[in-house]
Amino acid sequence: MHILEKLKKISRREPEIRAFCIQTIRFKKFLENARALLDLFKDGREKAVEDYIFDRHYVVTLIDSVVERLGMMVYDACVLVPKNGEELYAGYDRLKLAAGNLIDADASAGKSAGVAASGSTDPEYRLLSNALRWFNGKDAPEPETVMGFMKQAFLHVIALDAAEGLASDAATEDQALFENSGVKATDMGLYLIDLWKDALTPPDKNRATSDFNSVPLKHLLMDATCRDAKTGAINIQNDPDWVAAVTEYQLSLHSLKPDFQFRLETLASGYEQSDFIFIFAGKSTSLSELLPSGFHIETTDYGQFAWSLDISAKIIEDSLMIIGRRLFSKSARRLQ
Amino acid sequence: MPEQPLKIMVIDDENIVGKRLKPALEKTGDIVETFEDGEKALARFNEDPFDIVITDIRMEKIDGIEILERILATSGRTKVIIITGYATVETAREALSKGAFDFIAKPFKPSDLRAVIERASKEPRP
Repeated sequence: MHILEKLKKISRREPEIRAFCIQTIRFKKFLENARALLDLFKDGREKAVEDYIFDRHYVVTLIDSVVERLGMMVYDACVLVPKNGEELYAGYDRLKLAAGNLIDADASAGKSAGVAASGSTDPEYRLLSNALRWFNGKDAPEPETVMGFMKQAFLHVIALDAAEGLASDAATEDQALFENSGVKATDMGLYLIDLWKDALTPPDKNRATSDFNSVPLKHLLMDATCRDAKTGAINIQNDPDWVAAVTEYQLSLHSLKPDFQFRLETLASGYEQSDFIFIFAGKSTSLSELLPSGFHIETTDYGQFAWSLDISAKIIEDSLMIIGRRLFSKSARRLQ
Repeated sequence: MPEQPLKIMVIDDENIVGKRLKPALEKTGDIVETFEDGEKALARFNEDPFDIVITDIRMEKIDGIEILERILATSGRTKVIIITGYATVETAREALSKGAFDFIAKPFKPSDLRAVIERASKEPRP
């Protein structure tokens, strides 16, 4: 190829691959902020249920931390899907106002202001009880809770476009981008992107899965049926319908099939407090058949979210092997 | 021979801390007095010293570090345990360097504090 043609090709595809990598990295930040919010809820619940001594400062700090972290999550969501920014920030402002009212109302209320779920009339315990209801109260209207808003933010980021019928266009565009970018795996039917390296310099040629040093990818594909049982030859699809973006410890797996919504994000660094597996799947996917036990699953009108947090590297690796086997083996195609 | 009950003083300007800690610590038979005002607590201490003083650091009239210094100047046998909702390495270091027996961050479980009190009560007194 003439050098000028080569440069022309690189200059065209480079920003697109880079944009994909940046979006994937930003989505991970979005998940990290969501996870931090779940940890804050957990901390508050633990203090309310168990025999803890705490003061008003603790509860006010907890509410402030939720507001701050939620703001970070909204920012990420707006970077990922700018067109929904106005609506998300309006929802965020409502929750921020509710948080302020929660604190102010309690400060001005006397002993007769009510009782906490635990039965305590102490203002600090009552404030925590009200805060927990604001976080994720089962009896509170979902749009008014932080958890309800988080679900809404998730839908804006990954599911709403699909519900509006835009997914197939996006998938086709993505497929065309990957097809021309040297990211087609030579030994499997998927596109493979190194999140850091390829964002800086797009690859010159297609690579094999073994060229990637990624712990979660290795486990995901460990039991995947990509060889013919009789001949041992590698089955390679001409049009891959998956894209995997990886670093050494991170994996972001997306389905490119217009009729199969699936996205898996995982961090398997060996540091339990930050490692996780997160999955979004369309409503018709049977997550109970796909996932091993231990996942929390939430179903919405637009799709299903599943996650597993605070898990050891071993459990993540085993889970990825099971998911990979069920996703990629021929016998499991019915899941898709 | 049954052990002598400990005399424990709790100082925190947040009423809830003393209110919740008192019954929790009295369960083991110890004698607990709670104060929201540091000056009043020090006046009481000067009348009749306590074995253990548990004090918050950040309080309006007099802070926990000053209480720590004044208690240790009055009674070398008293163990002072610091509790705070604003836990930082710096405050912990300052409290311990000034003679605090231990440092506990709020929120905490009464059983965590009980374990520290037991250690403090077993440590030989000068």
